[in-house]
Amino acid sequence: MRIADKMAFNQVNQNLTKNRSDMADLQNQAATQKRINKPSDDPLASARVLAARTEERGNSQFIKNINNARSFLEFSDQSLGELSEILVRAKELAISQSNDASGNEETRLVTASEIEQIYNQAVQIGNRKLGERYVFGGYKTQTMPFNQAGEYFGDDGDMKIQTHKDSFVAMNIPGSKVFLGRGLGADGIVRARYEAPTSVEQLKQFQREEKEREELNRQVDENYVETRGPASERRSTRYDKQDPVTGGGGTNIFSTIKDLEISLRTNDKQGVQSALDTLDQAISQVVLSRSEVGSRIMAVNNTMDSLQKAVVDNKVAASQLEDADAFQVISDINKTDSTLKATLETSGKLIQPSLLDFLR
Amino acid sequence: MSKISAMMDTGKRSLMNSQTALQTVGHNIANKSTEGFSRQRVELMSNQPIGEGNLQIGMGARAGVVTRVNNPWLEKQIQKEGMSMGYQDSRADALSRVEQIYNEQNNKGLNQYMTDFFNSFRELSNNPESLASRTLVRESAVAMSKDFGRVVGQLKAVQEDLDGQVKTTVNEINQLTKEIAQLNEKIQMIEVQKTPANDERDRRDLVLKKLGEKIDISWAEGKDGMVTVTAGRTGILVSGIGSSELKAEQTGARDRVEVFFVGTGSPANITDQITGGRIGGALEVRDRVIEDLLNHVDNMAYTLAKEVNKAHIEGFDKNGRPGVLFFEMPEATKGAASVIGVNKTIFNDVGRIAAGAQSGATGDNTVANLISSLQHRQVMDGGTSTLDDYYNTQVGQIGAVVQRAIKSQESQKNVMNQLTNIRESISGVSLDEETTKMIEFQKTYDASARLIKTADEMFDTVLNLKRL
Repeated sequence: MRIADKMAFNQVNQNLTKNRSDMADLQNQAATQKRINKPSDDPLASARVLAARTEERGNSQFIKNINNARSFLEFSDQSLGELSEILVRAKELAISQSNDASGNEETRLVTASEIEQIYNQAVQIGNRKLGERYVFGGYKTQTMPFNQAGEYFGDDGDMKIQTHKDSFVAMNIPGSKVFLGRGLGADGIVRARYEAPTSVEQLKQFQREEKEREELNRQVDENYVETRGPASERRSTRYDKQDPVTGGGGTNIFSTIKDLEISLRTNDKQGVQSALDTLDQAISQVVLSRSEVGSRIMAVNNTMDSLQKAVVDNKVAASQLEDADAFQVISDINKTDSTLKATLETSGKLIQPSLLDFLR
Repeated sequence: MSKISAMMDTGKRSLMNSQTALQTVGHNIANKSTEGFSRQRVELMSNQPIGEGNLQIGMGARAGVVTRVNNPWLEKQIQKEGMSMGYQDSRADALSRVEQIYNEQNNKGLNQYMTDFFNSFRELSNNPESLASRTLVRESAVAMSKDFGRVVGQLKAVQEDLDGQVKTTVNEINQLTKEIAQLNEKIQMIEVQKTPANDERDRRDLVLKKLGEKIDISWAEGKDGMVTVTAGRTGILVSGIGSSELKAEQTGARDRVEVFFVGTGSPANITDQITGGRIGGALEVRDRVIEDLLNHVDNMAYTLAKEVNKAHIEGFDKNGRPGVLFFEMPEATKGAASVIGVNKTIFNDVGRIAAGAQSGATGDNTVANLISSLQHRQVMDGGTSTLDDYYNTQVGQIGAVVQRAIKSQESQKNVMNQLTNIRESISGVSLDEETTKMIEFQKTYDASARLIKTADEMFDTVLNLKRL
């Protein structure tokens, strides 16, 4: 083939450009330590990297959510522990005053004062705050849930926290359930009622149900007999009372304690004895609530473990997709460098001599 | 019998031939680097010999024509491939710029801003009472709206830049067509005298190539040696010694520059006919790729605003007031991404963010949960993909398109290099070769001079006969 001068020059030019751009590309990879610096470097992988990043950020947020929910739940658990402790103490006292061998009118009066303190403690526990939020107020975290009379000002709301893509965990137990025994199933277990709505239709349904529930609560309130009053008058109706609307078997802890206090004050031995049963129910109600809280803590801990694993997995996946193999890059740089040098050397030889150089 | 004077004459003509040949060698060397130049050769032929009885006496040589060494079919092929090269070049350049808009490898992009937005609602759901988490929601929503605006703005900036490119290219085209018409005229004038217009033809081949890189043309040479050039299907740019102009300007109908053929009648819009060359590439990216992307991002912004608003308006704010629209609702999908923004009421008072489903319950986070779960709901593509999927798919697609564009640009470059090499091997100037020719003709010149000298001496000999 006939070789014109321009061909040689063009060839040198092309070779050098190619080598230099290869080199620049590799150096970029070495500097960023990334194989993918723009989507076109690997379209499929770069879309997957984006998805992995979203996932990772989501997971970090879920971990934050869980930490938040966990502290809320642990605080509730601790409070419920205290509540069950004072209830057990009340039961001890009631037992000791339920017969004439260990109790008389005087000791019952003294004990009544201690029960009053226990009552106050129960109200205090019901009004516990974590940070600026009342723990047992349901959604009404800024309103004090209980007044001294044991009346409830919160609602039945379950504050749901997203712990994973499609799962929500309620981080609170409303005071209406654990303290008033309202809205509990026949088994007396405190459960979060609703799935978190994820569409507007579900939201509207949720709002309707909440309205119905409010109405229900109002009826329950109306149908319940007075919390306080002479023990003798109330005993027959209060005893073994079922929730008149839902049929659930909840116990009002405040009225239970108050009843006991009144029975003690009035030296009503029978009343004290019957209070033992209600106290047992109250204790089991709190214990069951506590076990519900405990199981939620366990659940979020498990989710946490899998999230933390997912965070690592995700990083590994993203790294495999987008990170440069350092050894590969360095060895490629060396290879390209020697190619470039060889090109430069041969190019010099190719361009230099022409016939003119030999005609002297 | 031959004559001394004839000998001298032969020598003289040979001298002149060598000079002509050397001149051509010089022309070749001088044009070694001239783009599109084809090397030239003087074609020498022997003169008519004179019959002297039974002898045929040669009368030396004369220069015939100066021809260029050139393969017209190859030139045509290069011109065609050059058209494709121009198209691939401008397409790949523009697409690489578009790609950068969606590049989140090093910078924060729409994907991350959207994730932040949804995460801020998760944070709000953790603590709906807190003003800090409410402010976070506002900030992330504002940042996301801004990034929607950034994407649209940058896409439009590329479109505008392409508009500018189309305009400049059209001006260049008008210069080139004028030159072709002038060259047509020159070539015809020269060749009517039966002399090949070598340099002019080289130049015209080159200008046609350059024109083809800018816009898709078809051309044919007539019997008179003049070419007719058509752009697209109907735009006759050059016909004989006349040329028509193209015009690029915005019309009332669209805010983008369009290409018009200015013939004798009223200007005709030929934008749709242009599918090749740099303009073709620019138009393809501007009107198809970017328009498509704009639709996608608008779609995303509109759906996002619609879904968030739909949920938000059902909720209740921190003080129990019913929810307002969260985003200013764009009127239509078209242009949604450039107008999406946080509702003024919310912007001014983050307490108006409706986190709860019920009035008077500050801890209610049901609506915040609902909005955050929008991220994983299939709201795009008629309920088959999530916002994330939709966006990430687009990024993957752009990456793939750019990758393909760069690959075809490279392979087209290889084709061009190969063809240019073949052209150079035929028409290119080799210094070695020219030097050899130079020496050859120099020797011939020397020898011819020696012949004249010998003839001269012979004359002397004859003139001095008497004196001897």
